[in-house]
Amino acid sequence: MQGSSRRTGTMTDVHRRFLQLLMTHGVLEEWEVKRLQKHCYKVHDCNAPVEKLEDFIHNINSVLESLYIEIKKGVTEDDGRPIYALVNLATTAISKMASDFAENELDLFRKALELIIDSETGFASSTNILNVVDQLKGKKMRKKEAEQVLQKFAQNKWLIEKEGEFTLHTRAILEMEQHIRETYPDAVKICNICHGLLIQGQSCETCGIRMHLPCVAKYFQSNSEPRCPNCNDYWPHEIPEVFDPEKERGAGLSKPSRKSLRPRQH
Amino acid sequence: MPRGQKSKLRAREKRRQAREESWDPVDAQATVSEEEEESSFSPSPDVKDDLQSSPASGTPSSPQVLGEVHSTTASAEAVSSTRFTEDASDQLEETLNALHADDIAEYWHRGPLDEKVVMLVHYLLYKYQRKEPITKVEMLRNVIQVYKRNFHEIFKRASEYLELVFGLDMKEMDPNRNTYVLINKLELSCDSQEHRGVPKTGVLMTILGVIFMKGNCATEEDVWKVLNMMGLHDGRNHFIFGDPKKLITEDLVKNDYLVYRQVPDSDPPRYEFLWGPRAYSETTKMKVLEFVAKANHTSPSAFPPYYEEALRDEKERAQAKSTARAQIAAMASARSKAMANSLSLPK
Repeated sequence: MQGSSRRTGTMTDVHRRFLQLLMTHGVLEEWEVKRLQKHCYKVHDCNAPVEKLEDFIHNINSVLESLYIEIKKGVTEDDGRPIYALVNLATTAISKMASDFAENELDLFRKALELIIDSETGFASSTNILNVVDQLKGKKMRKKEAEQVLQKFAQNKWLIEKEGEFTLHTRAILEMEQHIRETYPDAVKICNICHGLLIQGQSCETCGIRMHLPCVAKYFQSNSEPRCPNCNDYWPHEIPEVFDPEKERGAGLSKPSRKSLRPRQH
Repeated sequence: MPRGQKSKLRAREKRRQAREESWDPVDAQATVSEEEEESSFSPSPDVKDDLQSSPASGTPSSPQVLGEVHSTTASAEAVSSTRFTEDASDQLEETLNALHADDIAEYWHRGPLDEKVVMLVHYLLYKYQRKEPITKVEMLRNVIQVYKRNFHEIFKRASEYLELVFGLDMKEMDPNRNTYVLINKLELSCDSQEHRGVPKTGVLMTILGVIFMKGNCATEEDVWKVLNMMGLHDGRNHFIFGDPKKLITEDLVKNDYLVYRQVPDSDPPRYEFLWGPRAYSETTKMKVLEFVAKANHTSPSAFPPYYEEALRDEKERAQAKSTARAQIAAMASARSKAMANSLSLPK
């Protein structure tokens, strides 16, 4: 029978089930991950105490390390929600997607990715993306079909669609950050606070530095006169709220819509 | 043996470092296969690759799917700060169920073969998610390439990783020993005709356990009591299983895993569950008891009456199998006799 000691880094069926399910979903929000963890315990080891999520994931990651796979934690760029994704560290290509998409579809994604990175807002319009459909590798794709493929990307959480424009889903950022930084070193934008890859964010109108929205929220929290950390000019944008998981999940509570502490300037 | 392993590792490490100064694929392959013969970690009696007709390994054209393992190796190695413990190889060989990451990471030392093992693991996971079987030819062409002669070792190590880390079993699908498929060990049934690999059968095994331990017939209340403990409630959608009532009274019944019937002469009508024919054919009372025992941190013998029954069931199944075999053999010989005499014997 199995040894009774539970040292760190030991894989049991609880961890394996968790890993399988996370692999199936690809990416999950933190509250979903917690629920998933509890479920795996219930099914495979109902008497054991549920380990703290951070430690649980750390244990699994220590085993995954030698496989160049990792459960990575990230934060959504628009509202700072924590999410987890199973990420493949070893490859340069967009390999995770390859299990679901054909060659020409992957190339469409690459093109969309380039347009997103080059854009000022981090969004690429579907019109611009569809215009490059003729240049795709592999089987010829029509614009109608390409529209469907873009929707598929959104459903599978590689892209996010907002009013006809597309940006990268946090999952794609987690999975491909390294690849993006290496492939497009001149075009990528970096957050001044966390130094991570930046697709969407706010920028200083004077000196041009950029910050993620959740980084802005944290940095300027309860600061009535936010100033650019680089050039000290007034920070001209609305300061978002720091993400609070309690508020988010409270039953019957609507999302708070408090405005920033100082009046908006244009 | 551990001592021997350690000095072998040091020698291997020295050779690897020397090799890394001047990397030549042909050279590397020769050295690697030399090493492989000494390796006692994965005993492979028939290392020789029996597939003569594999495509030219000279063209390492990795598909667009898999890039090379590039500079992340360096950073990954820097990150992993591990200590080598002498017990590593013993532990691995004795308790395959307990995987200790720091021991593994250090032991596996990232040589070229290790890289191939990792690449193969990724490739196999990719095939698993696409629900495609895996052929040896594909593995050789897409992953193994110049290390053709080490296929067996690489394949074996990759399979071990998949089993230990993901709970996926490598099974040979084709009698010609060329095609494989990954089976989810944590699931009851082997065929993945349903869904996208979302496992429902932890629940099924639990229900079968309840039924068995209630004398092979459990009331609907009994079953719900247990399901409630797992977070499944009548009328409440579950984020994995959906509508639990539908799952247990319709889906699993339709698939012959469960029988759901009205308790005879019950008014108002009450219902009970029994094992379905497919449950009997795909699992056994002993397996279900083992599942229940494990989930409760104990062993089947902790439930004496059910353990007895499970043992009897095992015996009966074994007997039934041998009787069936005997019958088939008898029929076969009778038929051949009849054909020899060109007479049809009425039976």
